[in-house]
Amino acid sequence: MSTEQPPVQVVVSLDTVVKEYGATTALAGVSLEIAAGESVAVMGPSGCGKSTLLNMIAGLDRPTSGSVIVQGEDLGHLNETGLCLFRRRRVGMIFQFFNLLDDLPALDNAAIAAQLTGVSATQARRRALELFDELGIADRRDTYPALLSGGERQRVAVARALMNRPSLMLADEPTGALDSHSAEQVMDLLIDLNQIGQTLVVVTHDEHLATRCASRVVRLSDGKMVGEQSVEQLL
Amino acid sequence: MSAVWALSRAAARRRRLQTTVIGIVTFVSAITIVVALELFSASSAPFEHAFAQQQGAELVAAFDKAKVTDAQLVATGARPGVTASAGPFPQVTVDISQPSGAGPSRLPSVPPGPLTVVGRPSPGGRLDRVDLWSGHWPTGAGQVVVNRAPGGPSPVGSVIELSDGQSLAVVGAAYSVSQSAGAWVTPAEADALGAKESEMLYRFADATTSDQLRSDLTSVTGGLAPGALAGSRSYLTLERQYSTSVAQAYVPFLFAFGILALVVAVMMVANVVSGTVVAGLRHIGIMKAVGYTPGQVGAVYLLMILIPGAVATLVGTLAGTLVSKPLLSTATQGLGLPAPSVSPWLDVVVLAGLPVLVALAALASARRAKRLPAARAITAGAAPSAGHGLRAQRALASTALPRAVSLGLGLPFARPARTALTVATLALGVTAVTFAAGLTSSVIRYGQLQQRTSSVQVTAAVRHNGRSLLVVSAASDQRTAELLASLPGTRTLTAELQTVGELVGPNVRIDLDFLRGDTSSLGYPIVNGHWINGPGQAVVGPGFLKDHDLAVGDRVTLTMGGAPATVTIVGETWSYDPSGLMADWHTASVLDPGRGATRYEIGLRPGTNLASYIARANRADPSVMVQANGGLNGDEQLIPDFSTLFTVLLAIVAALGVLNTVLLTIRERRRDLGMLKSIGMTPRQVTVMMVTSATALGLIGSLIGVPAGITVHRVVVPAMVHATNAVLPSSLLDVWTAGLIAALALSGVVIAAVGAFVPARNAGRLRVAAVLHNE
Repeated sequence: MSTEQPPVQVVVSLDTVVKEYGATTALAGVSLEIAAGESVAVMGPSGCGKSTLLNMIAGLDRPTSGSVIVQGEDLGHLNETGLCLFRRRRVGMIFQFFNLLDDLPALDNAAIAAQLTGVSATQARRRALELFDELGIADRRDTYPALLSGGERQRVAVARALMNRPSLMLADEPTGALDSHSAEQVMDLLIDLNQIGQTLVVVTHDEHLATRCASRVVRLSDGKMVGEQSVEQLL
Repeated sequence: MSAVWALSRAAARRRRLQTTVIGIVTFVSAITIVVALELFSASSAPFEHAFAQQQGAELVAAFDKAKVTDAQLVATGARPGVTASAGPFPQVTVDISQPSGAGPSRLPSVPPGPLTVVGRPSPGGRLDRVDLWSGHWPTGAGQVVVNRAPGGPSPVGSVIELSDGQSLAVVGAAYSVSQSAGAWVTPAEADALGAKESEMLYRFADATTSDQLRSDLTSVTGGLAPGALAGSRSYLTLERQYSTSVAQAYVPFLFAFGILALVVAVMMVANVVSGTVVAGLRHIGIMKAVGYTPGQVGAVYLLMILIPGAVATLVGTLAGTLVSKPLLSTATQGLGLPAPSVSPWLDVVVLAGLPVLVALAALASARRAKRLPAARAITAGAAPSAGHGLRAQRALASTALPRAVSLGLGLPFARPARTALTVATLALGVTAVTFAAGLTSSVIRYGQLQQRTSSVQVTAAVRHNGRSLLVVSAASDQRTAELLASLPGTRTLTAELQTVGELVGPNVRIDLDFLRGDTSSLGYPIVNGHWINGPGQAVVGPGFLKDHDLAVGDRVTLTMGGAPATVTIVGETWSYDPSGLMADWHTASVLDPGRGATRYEIGLRPGTNLASYIARANRADPSVMVQANGGLNGDEQLIPDFSTLFTVLLAIVAALGVLNTVLLTIRERRRDLGMLKSIGMTPRQVTVMMVTSATALGLIGSLIGVPAGITVHRVVVPAMVHATNAVLPSSLLDVWTAGLIAALALSGVVIAAVGAFVPARNAGRLRVAAVLHNE
């Protein structure tokens, strides 16, 4: 009796992606595939192109050449509005400096992501509150970002990223601006998410984060992929 | 609630300072634009506007009642080419009596001589809807409404005495742009006064030229008995008279300030709005990362700015309309026309146009944000890219200036577009201040030239019960002249008889001013010919020569009801009442022997105390009102008043522009400011840095604005003088002293410093921990 492996569903596929900013080459022909449910950490020294790579996958920036296909969607073929709609429905993103909207209280910062897809404000807030409960920040729902701690802000950002149940979660140095306790909490969150099947790409300097959250580590240097290891190999 | 509305409403609420600045700028801009447009409207063809507003008569005709019936006159309204007619109204010419020399004048508004009185049941009607601006329309016998432009004291309550002994009580004052009468009574009263003529008023399909109007008149009078038409006047004559009047001087002035106000307001709105969008790049980047489409981003910013913008436009337009009413009234009094009503369509233009302007400014800036990839927008928002001002910063850092100052001087280079807009707003503000200062100096100098304050320091008018006397006996005149001449300090004394006469030939009423004594000391600048130096000589202004097609050397014959006298025009003074003529005393004694002078002009010896002299003179003869010569009259004062108002408005707008620029700079550079404070920059140094950056812009604004203001002054003042048919004395333009220019150059710096100070001080007070925490 033969045991047939189910076909691996590729969520992200980068093919010789180059990104240049004037005379500076941020990415120099990176090719990478990420499967559904996988958790990948992108590591490397400062300026090696980690965040640029993440921005390409999120559709926040466009490659100079090469292709970026996410969930079958070639991002190079999407206009600015198309990229926004793509991010809205398919991607949840967490930044190092949170990037919350200062004018909205915490709950609305999360709810706005659902409202953008056409969900009513009441439903969006209900969903956001569920996430706030799970993330332990329900009591901070009416607080503006400026008055939240770093850990609280990042949890609001995580809630916002999860609002539309994205198939792909991207995190750019998610613990970079946090104290160790808050960083641990965020790491736990990411692990939990991955364990329930969430595809995860984390850009980080932090080996500890990478080994805890990722099943595979991709290393970049000077815009090129210089190595790829499973966490087991890393350990 | 949509995501767009939720975020834009929250942003407008949370960013109170930004919302307030947008609101105030839009509010002040709306007021400025409404006032400017209203004044534009009022100063653009003001006679035509007033004429249209009153449904003026293009032809005013008087018919002999003995030769034509009322029915025939009514029928003329149906003749070909006539589009509207009114009348017939009974018309009579009454003779206003000369008051006796011993008693007080009871004629404050109507001078002695013939007066055309028309009997009309009401001020309204199909044509010539006269503006009854004081009192009420006559309702019975003995009541009269006099025709006078609004402004000045109301004549209601005075009495007109006729030469046949009758008197009429003035119950109202009204103004007819068509000049259809000198006064109005009820039709029954006109008949009772002996009306022998009927007045008809007409408008025609074609009446834009004299030939067309002559043809129209022929059409109207065709078929009537010969001699039925007693006289007629076309509106073109009035239009021509108006176009050469002193009032025309207001038009270029109002136009120049209107343009300045409009441009400054528009630029200011563009500056504030575009600055808000550019300062929000990081915010825009986050929105895009969350999933807002470019259209939604634009919509959020548009709403965020339109919420305060629309409210401020509404309130500002209402306030501008309220402010415009008295301004229009004052301005058009200066123009010698009734106050036009505030134009509702202008309000609609502002209400619709200003939000559109705000939206266009926002969209123009938002386009850049829309094009920028989200990742770059997020990072771009933290601070301007380093390239812009780096070279300038490096150069400044190597100077010996205090570091706070050199850092401040480098800030404007970081945002060249915003800097350019702010400099442009400041430059226009300084242009307005410079123009206003120059114009005020010119108007004061105009007044000095007009009133000859260097030659005549004191004037004296013979009065009784507080009113000027029109007729004074020769004996009384002699006593007064001797008294004034004997006062210590009197250097020169000239006596004047100011009265009204007629120019024989064209038979037009003119103002006469007969001079006695040392008339050469009066100091009238002669631009052509020479001053009066013998009997039978006269001097007039350029307007008089132009209106009557005369030249220096021509002879004219005058009459005051009695014997005529001929005078030779020997000189032309630079500016004088176009209806006025100055002649020697001998001519007065020919025209009306026995009349004494009513006014005196006195030159004082050097070192004489003016106040003491006036007090002594008033004590010596209480019937003579002695006062200092000088100061601006009401019409002249209006120009500095308007200049001040516009200058204050434009300076506020320019200062708000700086405030906004400094606010945006501080918001963009919060992290830099926190960092600078963390390494030891004191709050005072932060304030100095931010104020320096603004005053640098102010200085550049001054360097552009002062020459621009001087240029505008050099264009507008000659236009104003030309409009009054005067000859431009060079001293009216040579008002720029080094001190004045230096003070004006400082104005830009002061406006900028005032606008920058409060936000700069607040920047100095930023808490480092809070700033770095929030970043």
